[in-house]
Amino acid sequence: MSAPADEAAIREWAAARRLPAPYLARWLELGPEDRAALLETAVGLRMRAGQLIAAFDLMEEISVRDARPVAAILARAEVRRILDGSGSGPGRAAALLGALRAIRFPRLARATERITCEIAALGLPRGIRIAPPRELASGEIRIELAAHGSEDLRGLLDALSRRAAELARIADLVAGVGWNDDEI
Amino acid sequence: MRFELDAVYVEEEMRATALARRVIAALPPGVPIRHVPDGRIAARADRAAADPFAAGKRRMVIMRRRSRFLTGCPAASNEFACCGYLVMELASNCPMDCGYCFLQEFVADNPGFQVYANYADAFAELDRVRAGADRPLRIGTGELADSLAFDSLTGMSRDLVRYFAGRDDLTLELKTKTDEIENLLEIDSRGRTLVSWTLSPERVFRSSEHRTAPPAARIAAARRVLEAGYRVGFHLDPIIACDGAERDYSALLDEVFAAVPTARIEFISLGGLRMTPGLRAAARRRFPRDPMLLGEEVLAPDGRYRAFAPLRMRLYEAINRRIAREKSGARVYLCMENAAIYRRVLGAAPPAPAALGAALADGKRRDG
Repeated sequence: MSAPADEAAIREWAAARRLPAPYLARWLELGPEDRAALLETAVGLRMRAGQLIAAFDLMEEISVRDARPVAAILARAEVRRILDGSGSGPGRAAALLGALRAIRFPRLARATERITCEIAALGLPRGIRIAPPRELASGEIRIELAAHGSEDLRGLLDALSRRAAELARIADLVAGVGWNDDEI
Repeated sequence: MRFELDAVYVEEEMRATALARRVIAALPPGVPIRHVPDGRIAARADRAAADPFAAGKRRMVIMRRRSRFLTGCPAASNEFACCGYLVMELASNCPMDCGYCFLQEFVADNPGFQVYANYADAFAELDRVRAGADRPLRIGTGELADSLAFDSLTGMSRDLVRYFAGRDDLTLELKTKTDEIENLLEIDSRGRTLVSWTLSPERVFRSSEHRTAPPAARIAAARRVLEAGYRVGFHLDPIIACDGAERDYSALLDEVFAAVPTARIEFISLGGLRMTPGLRAAARRRFPRDPMLLGEEVLAPDGRYRAFAPLRMRLYEAINRRIAREKSGARVYLCMENAAIYRRVLGAAPPAPAALGAALADGKRRDG
């Protein structure tokens, strides 16, 4: 796509989605390859303005941190798989944001995944919810019990007590203890 | 002089003060001097400037301080462990320009580099405070300004060190990222002045600490003031959890411990990078290409962006282990972290602010 045609298409997309003017300006300031790649993504995934803003912010930050252009970020294998994959546009747009967040916050993504896996492996009954802090922003873990009557509650407490050692390890992970060197 | 000024504004009623005369006499040629009725107006942000905060740094305003000189540390809060630091506000803003600096938000509306010519009034105020104090006090001038930046112009440090030299219940902390220590070397502090350096690894310095002295120069300056009879401490603050941070901070500490007799380091404080949303936005607007502002910070329960908790904890623990290995006896404390993190990193509950403040003021001599 030539630059003027590309600019017209970007303006058209922005107008249709009511993209705030500062984001349109930043989009148009990108190099030709970058802005074309972003347009292809926005159109291909039928993104909403809010999704484009979130993706744009993440890509700009990754771009500065890694000294890589936006087009190179969108060409990464894990991103390309989403862009070229099947499924609904909104679903792929949400997956794209998830992938970009994982690139922007790689150690947080690894830590979250490990904790999530460890919690799932506990196999705790319905009625017990182990809730690590959102984005691991604090070292505090919450355990919620939802019981109907004393028998139900006793069952949940027994299940928790059988898993006390594993729960303690998860609490330590959330608090920053027990990580391998290459994890975070 | 390391720093450049676009202009010096002198408040009319302060033009005959010793400070105004000293600054004017030491100014390099070509810096315009303007007399103004009210320095507060000259210190306001110039909204027409492309970067009003940066423009303010280059505009020195010699003025009268109209409010108290002594305040509690702006970082103090019931939420956090606290070192009981008292701040003596002798200046506001700083000619250096660190990408993460809280002043970008804190003094955004009045970023002129204010220097208070009536600073001798602070001594009278301090005399009143110490008369009612039941513990040694540690008083610092390096919270809203660097304690030594422009000291070659203002010469304030000489008066400060002399005042504190005569008072065994007080400790002055001069906190700096400069190596501007020449005035200090001429005066006997009688051990009542502690000079502390905020240190960062070379990578953070290059990326974010604009116009500061290189870390090696700060460490060399620490050694020199120590030899001249001053006490020294270090602040690893903000600790930035970038890739390779554990290695970088460990190497930085290697450098400190190789250059400064470790048994004579009074304290090393640790504080992770924390930014309010407003500060983060201001910092990123001013330094959009600084990768140090693009770490894995998330919104923490205290409303500040911080490295996510496990990452932050790991880094604190690694740094604390490196310090402990040295067996220097330096007191280690955390700044602006809650009691749970303090306990986990340092293995004990945080002391009460007054107790830690008194211990830091007393220093190693009285610790035995």
